[in-house]
Amino acid sequence: MRSRWTLLAIPLLLGGFLAGCGDDDDEGASTDDTTEDGGGGGGGEDTGSVNILFAGEPDEASSLQEVIDEMINADAEYEAEFEASGNFEEQLQIRAEGGTLDLAAVPQPGAVQELAASGNLTSLEDLGFDMAELEEVFGEAFLALGEYEGEHYGLPTNINLKSMVWYPKDDFDAAGYEIPETWDDMLALSDQIVADGGTPWCVGFSSEGSTGWPATDWMEDIVLRTAGADVYDQWVAHEIPFDDPAIVTAAETFGEVLFKDGYVLGGAASTVDIPFGDAPLPMFDEEPGCWLHRQASFIDTFFPEDAEAGVDYDWFPLPPIDQEGILFAGELTVVGSNGNRPEVKDFLEKFISDDVQCSTGEAAARLSPNVNVGADCYGNDNLGRAAEVLAEANQAGTGRFDASDLMPAEVGSGSFWTGMVDYVQGGSADRAAEVLAEIEASWPS
Amino acid sequence: MTQTTPPPTETSEQQDPVPESARSGGDGAGARTAARIAGAFAIPIAGFLSLGWLLDFLKDDDANRLVIAAVAIVVGVVGVFALFWAMDTIVDWLPARVRETARPYVFVGPALAILAVFMIYPVVNTIVLSFKDARGDEFVGLDNYEFVFTNESMLRSIRNSVGWIVVVPLFGVSIGLVFAALADRLRRGEALAKSLIFLPMAISFVGASVTFRLIYDYRPEGFGSNIGLLNGIWMGLGNEPVAWLSQKPWNNLLLMAIMVWMQTGFAMVVLSAAIKAIPDEIIEAARIDGASEMQVFRRIVVPSILPTIVVVTTYMVINAMKVFDIVFVMGNAESNGTEVIAERMIRWFFISNHDGRGAAIAVVLFIAIIPVMVWNVRKFREQEAIR
Amino acid sequence: MTAVPLPPTDLTPAETATGPSRAKKTSGTVGVEQGGWFVRIAVLVTVLIWLIPAVGVLVTSFRGADDVRQTGWWTVLWDPFGTDWTFENYRTALDSGGFANAFLNSLAVTIPATIMPIAVAAFAAYAFSWMQFRGRHLMFVLVVGLMVVPLQMALIPILRLFVDGGEIAGVRVFPDLDLNGSFLGIWLAHTAFGLPLATYLLRNYIGSLPSSIIESARIDGADNFTIFWRLIVPLSVPALAAFGIFQFLWVWNDLLVAYVFLGGTSDTRVVTIALANLVGARGQNWQLLTSAAFITMVLPLVVFFSLQRYFVRGLTAGSVKG
Repeated sequence: MRSRWTLLAIPLLLGGFLAGCGDDDDEGASTDDTTEDGGGGGGGEDTGSVNILFAGEPDEASSLQEVIDEMINADAEYEAEFEASGNFEEQLQIRAEGGTLDLAAVPQPGAVQELAASGNLTSLEDLGFDMAELEEVFGEAFLALGEYEGEHYGLPTNINLKSMVWYPKDDFDAAGYEIPETWDDMLALSDQIVADGGTPWCVGFSSEGSTGWPATDWMEDIVLRTAGADVYDQWVAHEIPFDDPAIVTAAETFGEVLFKDGYVLGGAASTVDIPFGDAPLPMFDEEPGCWLHRQASFIDTFFPEDAEAGVDYDWFPLPPIDQEGILFAGELTVVGSNGNRPEVKDFLEKFISDDVQCSTGEAAARLSPNVNVGADCYGNDNLGRAAEVLAEANQAGTGRFDASDLMPAEVGSGSFWTGMVDYVQGGSADRAAEVLAEIEASWPS
Repeated sequence: MTQTTPPPTETSEQQDPVPESARSGGDGAGARTAARIAGAFAIPIAGFLSLGWLLDFLKDDDANRLVIAAVAIVVGVVGVFALFWAMDTIVDWLPARVRETARPYVFVGPALAILAVFMIYPVVNTIVLSFKDARGDEFVGLDNYEFVFTNESMLRSIRNSVGWIVVVPLFGVSIGLVFAALADRLRRGEALAKSLIFLPMAISFVGASVTFRLIYDYRPEGFGSNIGLLNGIWMGLGNEPVAWLSQKPWNNLLLMAIMVWMQTGFAMVVLSAAIKAIPDEIIEAARIDGASEMQVFRRIVVPSILPTIVVVTTYMVINAMKVFDIVFVMGNAESNGTEVIAERMIRWFFISNHDGRGAAIAVVLFIAIIPVMVWNVRKFREQEAIR
Repeated sequence: MTAVPLPPTDLTPAETATGPSRAKKTSGTVGVEQGGWFVRIAVLVTVLIWLIPAVGVLVTSFRGADDVRQTGWWTVLWDPFGTDWTFENYRTALDSGGFANAFLNSLAVTIPATIMPIAVAAFAAYAFSWMQFRGRHLMFVLVVGLMVVPLQMALIPILRLFVDGGEIAGVRVFPDLDLNGSFLGIWLAHTAFGLPLATYLLRNYIGSLPSSIIESARIDGADNFTIFWRLIVPLSVPALAAFGIFQFLWVWNDLLVAYVFLGGTSDTRVVTIALANLVGARGQNWQLLTSAAFITMVLPLVVFFSLQRYFVRGLTAGSVKG
């Protein structure tokens, strides 16, 4: 008898404790419409806030926030806030599954599909978007990246160019080098630089736990240019094996640059130990330590503070090989289960509108996937040129989204990275087929 | 469950010193007892309702942050003590027969309740998940466990983790113990010396990652001079720079060194507190008997604080099992061969989005701890027998 | 269980409860004459080895970004004027919006999240050591075994409870509290994550107190609550202080739990999140972390110093087993 008393008493007490604060909390949530819940969102009710979990730079987020404050929050009944997060993947997963996610700007369409499959997202259709209208704004292909079982889960909100080769413009011009129009021209230029006693390429693949991703970008760029966009799509969708001869050829082409004596500063094997952010720095030495650096548009944030765009450095699109192609990446904004609210839809509608997209492009150096936002919208020349390159490629149907972001995470954020590290460390293009076969074996069935 | 009176040996210790009849309603005043019980529940509930009101205040955006922080602190701190006081009061009002049986549960109850909700429930959840597929939809039997014990990278992570749970506690505890014993005998500067060993514990993990970047960093020829201290020394000795974190299998030891650096402070502080608790008379007596300092340390100090050494070692073993962030920021673990169990778990769960495999790896962690716990309970029983 | 009689100590509860100042007089003076040099040198060498990484961070925190990337920090030791010293890293860190606010949030999270687990665990540890009840050992093993649970595996289920409440077979066992984004939510989470270690450490300490003290108090008619309050708590100050420091540090330096339960927006974020945001998603400003590391370290070190006076000899004299 005694312990039955005891067993009853404790839960009752704790129940009283918890219910005590619970009652009042519920009351509070319904009577006030403060924005306090911003951080993780509250229940499903109107919280008066829209939270956007953001994978990009904190600086970018605060620039975006300024535009949002001025153009959306000023006359809305809610407040939208960007939340930049260093460990984005973990936060996304936890909040989506935990049910506290409003919106998240996700850089990997593959992750969007996986989240959609787990049932933790609200589809754009459910939120009340007219898909036909969205198609006019973004094009069908872009929207299809976030499609799962006939419904769409990802709203394209940003795009960035990957096929860029950076060079130290002042020294480059002084040395009399020309911007190459074709792959062979580029190799000829590399040979010329070697002949002049320089080292053409700076390459760095190290990135903490994600070491290897810059190498996958190289691979994708080359697959697109050797095998073409159609084979690229099949490769991404795993309709051809990862080690298809076409892909092996691409890896070998990559090896021709990487493993050629004198081409890569420090040698190929050391590239996996060079942080990708430090890799371009020798370009800015008094006597350039290297002359060419292939990296996406964000890399200029790592350049020395006093380096000036258009004077000290510039870029050209990575030239075509047998085929034309342009690689890009971007973010799809997804709606969590906590985001199925009218103010979230209202925010998204305003956010993707032409004028807001144009302003965010200028303020935060972002390219808009909205086709109505023209190249003239971007304040700076760099961005305007990038927008043109992208628009041309997309019109020609040769623009493609970063493959590793589309593949299943086990491959795209796992074996593809480690496979490329393995290949690079091997020091010879002969191992291309072997390494790709290993990646193929890791593809989830 | 069937419950009768506890065994007599136990009750002997639970006897309330005040005679039972003096407090209980044994003289037929059942109504009074009922009123007391009702009161016992009403008081804490009223207390928690006002607590709830305070919490609402904490959610008010317009209130001054300083006031909010102050109120939060008062609520958080006073609330806990109010809870225990209220529960103890309730137990006092219970019928005497029940009272002393209930009291232990008042003491452990809140801990158990919080753990049940916040840890046991997630553990059960994880165990269930470990038998399911990538998205946690369908049961797949033992597939995930088969993966854990056959995947090459997983097996490497298990091997590496064994290394971590041997090396890190070994160095952390022995350095911490010796240092605590030595610092104890400093005339001046003990506080300062201990604070400096403790310092790494105060650095946040992101801070520590920068710290060791400044030590292990590597630049090949052409990328400027090396900013890592280890290469600075190495090159000063006339060698070529080395990519330390890619040197298999030694890179594992370099990562373990980070954890030893961070955690020795923990061992040192706890062991130091234990050493201070040894009565001076015992040590003095040994010295008068002519024992050398080494003998005092081995024969008196170490045996006296053995239970604490067990505790510190256990804690460090568990922490070494759970380590992942050090491995995570120090290069691609799979390429470098530095995988550890918890790092694989995080990678499969959050990066590769395979919930089943992530959960199965976590369950392996839970099971691996069982021998350590058995050893602990045995030690505790021994301790209770002699105190 | 029958207590083994110990030789009577001259220590009464009233005496043990006197403050550290009295005990300090006897501390640290024993045996310094022997091996003084060896002790000093050994301590000095260990401290130096331990300091090197931290000195690297300290030096780096006062150097400009380009210098940090170009030369090793130790070069300043023989060329102190070859680098341009600057407070820029500290200025950038402190000027980042809402730092004061983040500091207050950190305090509001950390102080209750330090005291709550200590209080809860101390009660539990006392019961585990000195009270007899069914399932004592089993419960204890369960509590301590939970130390191995990785935080990350617990977050999603807890978040779901906070958002939806909990139901088992249609019966509500955990109310829908809307705890997410509230201080209470994060306190409870930190309390739960800190409890296993706290219970374990305190059980070890409280359990090693001599049974004679507790027995005599019982004979004097003290009930368990009184014994705990008047005897155990004062006697356990070193252990409580030690765990207090650790829990304070973990909560103060925590990034993940704060992100999940409070979020990283400007009004709710804590110091670690504010500083992590400086660095940039791709780590381009990592040298800012050096100043950030020192800024966040200041308060924990103050706490450590102020609690250290409790780690003195004599407070628990007589606690060794016979």
